[in-house]
Amino acid sequence: MATVHLQANHAAFTDGVRELEVDGATVGAVIDELATRFEGLGPLLREGSSVAIDGELQPKGTIYAAVGPDADVHFLAPIAGG
Amino acid sequence: MTATENPPSKYKYVGTRPVRHDGLDKVTGKARFAADLDLTGQLRGAIVRSPHAHARIVSIDTSAAEAMPGVKSVVTGADFPAIDPSDSAHDEAVNNIARDEALYVGHAVAAVAATTMEEARAAAAAVEVEYEVLPAVLSIDEAIAEGAPIANSTNRTLFTGDTEPSNIASVGPFQRGDVDAGFAAADVIVERTFTTKAVHQGYIEPHACVADVGQDGKATIWASSQGHFAVRSKTAKILGWGTDKIKVTPAEIGGGFGGKTTIYLEPIAVRLSQKAGRPVKIVMTREEVLRATGPAPASKIHMKMGATKDGELTTIQGTLHYSNGSAKGYAALTGAMSIASYKFPNLDLMAIGTVDNTPKSAAYRAPSAPQAAFAIETLIDEVADQLEMDPIELRLKNAVVEGDPTAMGAPHPKIGFIETLEAIKNSEHYNSPVPEGAGRGFGTGFWFNIGEQSSATVNLNEDGTATVITGSPDIGGSRASMALMAAEELGLDVHRITPIVADTESVGFTDITEGSRATFATGMAVVNACRDLIEQMKERAAVMRGVAADQVAWIDGAAVIEGPPSEGADPVSIAEITAAAKMTGGPLTATASLNAAGAGPSFAAHLADVRVDEETGQVEILRYTAAQDAGTAIHPSYVEGQMQGGSAQGIGWALNEEYIFSADGVMQNAGFLDYRMPVASDLPMIETIIVEVPNPSHPYGVRGVGETGIVPPIGTLANAIADQTGVRMTNLPMSPPNVLKALNER
Amino acid sequence: MINRTHVHCTVNGDEVDFLATDSTSLLDALRTELGLTGVKEGCGTGDCGACSITVDGALNCACLMFAPEAEGREIGTVEGIAQGDHLHPLQETFLEGAALQCGICTPGFLVAAKVLLDENPTPTETEIRYALAGNLCRCTGYDKIIHAVQEAAVQLNGAKS
Repeated sequence: MATVHLQANHAAFTDGVRELEVDGATVGAVIDELATRFEGLGPLLREGSSVAIDGELQPKGTIYAAVGPDADVHFLAPIAGG
Repeated sequence: MTATENPPSKYKYVGTRPVRHDGLDKVTGKARFAADLDLTGQLRGAIVRSPHAHARIVSIDTSAAEAMPGVKSVVTGADFPAIDPSDSAHDEAVNNIARDEALYVGHAVAAVAATTMEEARAAAAAVEVEYEVLPAVLSIDEAIAEGAPIANSTNRTLFTGDTEPSNIASVGPFQRGDVDAGFAAADVIVERTFTTKAVHQGYIEPHACVADVGQDGKATIWASSQGHFAVRSKTAKILGWGTDKIKVTPAEIGGGFGGKTTIYLEPIAVRLSQKAGRPVKIVMTREEVLRATGPAPASKIHMKMGATKDGELTTIQGTLHYSNGSAKGYAALTGAMSIASYKFPNLDLMAIGTVDNTPKSAAYRAPSAPQAAFAIETLIDEVADQLEMDPIELRLKNAVVEGDPTAMGAPHPKIGFIETLEAIKNSEHYNSPVPEGAGRGFGTGFWFNIGEQSSATVNLNEDGTATVITGSPDIGGSRASMALMAAEELGLDVHRITPIVADTESVGFTDITEGSRATFATGMAVVNACRDLIEQMKERAAVMRGVAADQVAWIDGAAVIEGPPSEGADPVSIAEITAAAKMTGGPLTATASLNAAGAGPSFAAHLADVRVDEETGQVEILRYTAAQDAGTAIHPSYVEGQMQGGSAQGIGWALNEEYIFSADGVMQNAGFLDYRMPVASDLPMIETIIVEVPNPSHPYGVRGVGETGIVPPIGTLANAIADQTGVRMTNLPMSPPNVLKALNER
Repeated sequence: MINRTHVHCTVNGDEVDFLATDSTSLLDALRTELGLTGVKEGCGTGDCGACSITVDGALNCACLMFAPEAEGREIGTVEGIAQGDHLHPLQETFLEGAALQCGICTPGFLVAAKVLLDENPTPTETEIRYALAGNLCRCTGYDKIIHAVQEAAVQLNGAKS
């Protein structure tokens, strides 16, 4: 199972949980699983977050990126640029 | 560490400094910017703008304007489909043209097209708008005050599920460790509140576009933008059209710095053209640019930092307020996340984005990072002072390395912060004495950089030349970088390669030139297309020499045959392969598209010597050095140019630039005379040190260099001022009156 | 109908005639009547120098002159700096020295720098910075522009001696 790290703003939906184990082969599957477990978290993860897998920032809006069985998945606030 | 001191490069073209391909047109006046285009039968457009900071639009009567000489069409917000406020396109749509509510002075409410500019302006003045003036909110403090009026009735706080209107755009807590324990373990605690004003990107070219809707209902737009595909998708969304009905041709862009990632004019020009049946050109005045286009957010940042007596930074705690102007945004979140340079085992940051009745803010070079770095770099400098430690040593002791967490917890990939700090530490500047009576300051900056989507097509022409076609508008010399990477891959002279930026129908979709991504992500697409072409050329050479394809290697720009029976035969050059292409399978072309992962963060460190005139408060910069990790410098001259340009913008932000509003929300300095950007006589030479710690996720190690340079100057200069005067400046700009006031309060 | 004045002047050595209203700026006339779009508009108020031109050899902002004021004058723009295919040393050193990024301010800088070097062939760095202080560049931080002007001065002086 992948280890998912959430931000403090996500934790408002998770009763304060910031780190948890989630099954899912892709970012989309991980988000779906989290959205099922925590009401209201889905939209924030889908639209308001960037994702890093094992430290590598993923393309914006990705849901198909593969999540390895021991991956570290960080959901971050969205990153833009000038 | 500088490019010129590097050992002989492993590359033949990458790292060299050829004359840029678009340069000749730009030094002879031939380069075509958007305002330089005129079409037959073209009308000129003018925008009607709100004189009120906040008002309900009761009615708009366009009949008098329509009856005026030369007027061919008039549009208002009612000419565009309503977009639901929950739709992410809503705010940009209403910022293009208001529907029911004018949100700041200068907000577009109607537009006219007429035969001449004079007629268009006269007709714009004749559009009668009835306003019901509403209470306005003009600052962060006013926005968050108890019982404050609502600045924008459609704003809801992002991702909270809140359904009530609010002046809060977003709230983002960032936490790790235990800050109470961190402060308890600290021997030194420093704490201050910092404020910064809105500042403008200050591109010299005002926004401009020409739109022409044909008989078939299809629109062609020529626009100055950082991303013409984004112009297409945003315009389509605001008009309610399909993207296939819009073609956008990129004009040369006269500076963007983030401010041309958004659109203001194109949907209006298209509707005016559609209604009039003629092309419409709209060019903003400088005053319109300052009143109605994207400033960078004002901010108010409270920060508290703790350190042990041997210089370990234990804790950071703070609240970061950023104004998004009239619409929601992510400014505060990005600001908090940009605090990523030091280890801080204990961290507690609250990022709060506000909404008010000032112009909708837009991205500006490393958006939100300079404000946060001002606070962080000032406090670290104070810690160094109190501990009597060298400011660079203190930073080296706490600098993040690969695997250390960012503000949001994700580990840093391979980065070159330590190397960048050491580049300044080892510089001649740092090791020279501070001029008598002057102050010296040091500061650093970080920016993420991003990947996103890019496409490239590379065509090999029949004479062995190549055309590199991308969809990334070139704002700082990226065409030269594309050509250099293609030259390196193909082994073809860089001046036999023509890099162009193609329109939305001639190259694959490409995201905006932003986040320092063009050379990184679009460069990768170019490299991939070139590698495809090399495989194709090897196959063609195999046909030409009658050998198996796996007997051909690509070496130094030619196909080399290995093994019998042609071992030792002359290599087949690109020109020979392209000349024979029609006999070996037809034209040689390759296209690559990608959504790039693995963007490499870039760190910068700056050093400044200043002299503060203690009678006038004037800050003179005596010497300035900027070091930055470029990953790999593809064209070192333009890497230096990005570092120098970013530094100069940061210096302007630090010392002079600010939006000044009257009590009723009217910008008081909407011109270059009073919105004072640095001129040549304000600045010294900006010495550069290019650090190269390659990004492992890019074929040439590119990190992207566009943005980070603007992050360190504010803190650097504040620290230099403190070094000379002992006064910590906490409010921007550090202009003569503000510096003098602070000196007098000493 | 708005009255338009007939204007006769010399632009980059060629005699030209055009019509302009009394309130038309020389900048607009150069760009729209004569097609000289190398003269750029950055502000319209004389603060940015993107529309720098010469009038009888002296540096001016085209946005600050009315078109009829050009009557009988000799106007010079960026389009007149190169002699055919032969670039002026300033144009060469701007290219070689990467003294431009977006390029919108470049025409104005070239015109202003040429006036400087015509008047003062051996300017100091400070003199160059003050001579070009009426021209805004937001991309380069001026560094490479100053170096390019210094290098052009060296080349021009070398050519003379």
